[in-house]
Amino acid sequence: MNLLPWLVAAWLLGVGLYGIVTSRNFVHLVGCLSVVQSSTYVLLLAAGFRWRAIAPIFYDHPPGTPAVDPVLQALVLTDVVIGATVTALLLAMALQLHKKRETLDPEELRPMR
Amino acid sequence: MSVLVSALLLLLACAGAGVVFTRSPRRQVMAMAVNGLVLAVLFMVLQAPDVAFAEIAVGAVAVPLLFLVVLASMRMDRAPRDADRL
Amino acid sequence: MNPKWRLAVFLLACLVVAPGVVGLALHMPRFGAPVLALGDAINAQGTAQRHVSNMVSAVNFDYRGFDTLGEEFMLLCAVTGTVVLLRGARGEALDARPGIVPGRPILPRSEAVTLVARVFAPLIILFGVYVAAHAMTTPGGGFQGGVIVASGLLLVFLGDGYQTWRALVKSRVLDACEGGGAALYALCGFAGMCLRLPFLSNVLPLGTAKEVFSGGLMLLENLGVTLAVGGGFSLIFLEFLEETRARKPDEPK
Repeated sequence: MNLLPWLVAAWLLGVGLYGIVTSRNFVHLVGCLSVVQSSTYVLLLAAGFRWRAIAPIFYDHPPGTPAVDPVLQALVLTDVVIGATVTALLLAMALQLHKKRETLDPEELRPMR
Repeated sequence: MSVLVSALLLLLACAGAGVVFTRSPRRQVMAMAVNGLVLAVLFMVLQAPDVAFAEIAVGAVAVPLLFLVVLASMRMDRAPRDADRL
Repeated sequence: MNPKWRLAVFLLACLVVAPGVVGLALHMPRFGAPVLALGDAINAQGTAQRHVSNMVSAVNFDYRGFDTLGEEFMLLCAVTGTVVLLRGARGEALDARPGIVPGRPILPRSEAVTLVARVFAPLIILFGVYVAAHAMTTPGGGFQGGVIVASGLLLVFLGDGYQTWRALVKSRVLDACEGGGAALYALCGFAGMCLRLPFLSNVLPLGTAKEVFSGGLMLLENLGVTLAVGGGFSLIFLEFLEETRARKPDEPK
């Protein structure tokens, strides 16, 4: 149990990289990149977690109750939203590539042809 | 409680593998939506409601929509006999 | 490089790195053990120092506000890049028809879909504004609220079609919202410098904790982030959905 979050994060990173290395379609590649991003979210939030602690919102509980780390949550929060924007930029590039070259296969788009 | 966290982590590992091993982009969009949902539930269990909020809105609405629109627009540009290859 | 060679090199790299990963996992602190002192300090003193209940918002807008400024400008750059790539190549047309894939039947939109979208779109936009406004008291904030508002605007497209949605959502307004939000955040930082304090100091009165209007300058920064994220995501949706409209005869492909 103690190793499971770190191993799952490493597994997601490895599987995502495998998908990027063996992808035959650029849109599929951008999806694998989102899996790699999700591995960092899991790692950061698991590092800040504490058993039997509340969320860092002190509306119903008085300040001083054991709570989870808020700094790591703030990092992951902005990361999730900005990651979606970067995905949009990559998809726009894939769209332009499709318009110019009529194919989305990385193998057919290699520069030295 | 630790059983719940372990089960969700294993489910997330399967969902991530599902996204990668689904080669057709149209089906991968649904796998990504499932991945986003599992991530959101994991974030709630790890006591991070703000992050779960953002992940639901982004992972189940924004990102699948972008992928579907890109695939639809690529399909429009192709010749009719190639329209099902994507 | 041959795809098989590339896969072989990747698997070799994984094999080499795997013992390091396992060793690292064994050396990480125990899952669930409290080790991070900065988070504990902020949890203990945040409500007394800044009069807010949501520690994540306090970290985002006050304790680490400079990082959020960087993220805002990353959002601005990504959205600008998307718009330049898509709108620059194609131009805009407010009265175009949606595109057609040859060979597929065109089904009319169901009235149930239109009704549900018309009922729920204002509710979702209102919910997004609620989430963004209660940044300092309950889970929420500018980032979440902005994405929810953008998704609510998208329901109008689903229910009423491309032309009604384009009549409602104007790209100039979205450009102004997005740029204005990022500018508002940056200008909030300068407010402190006018009084000889560091950048992004909290110079407005802090209010009482557990009220919606507490936190001082964090509220203005939250407003800036909501405008920027909502406008940015709506602009991305708009540019992508414009890609699906039928081409006019004089436009480049």
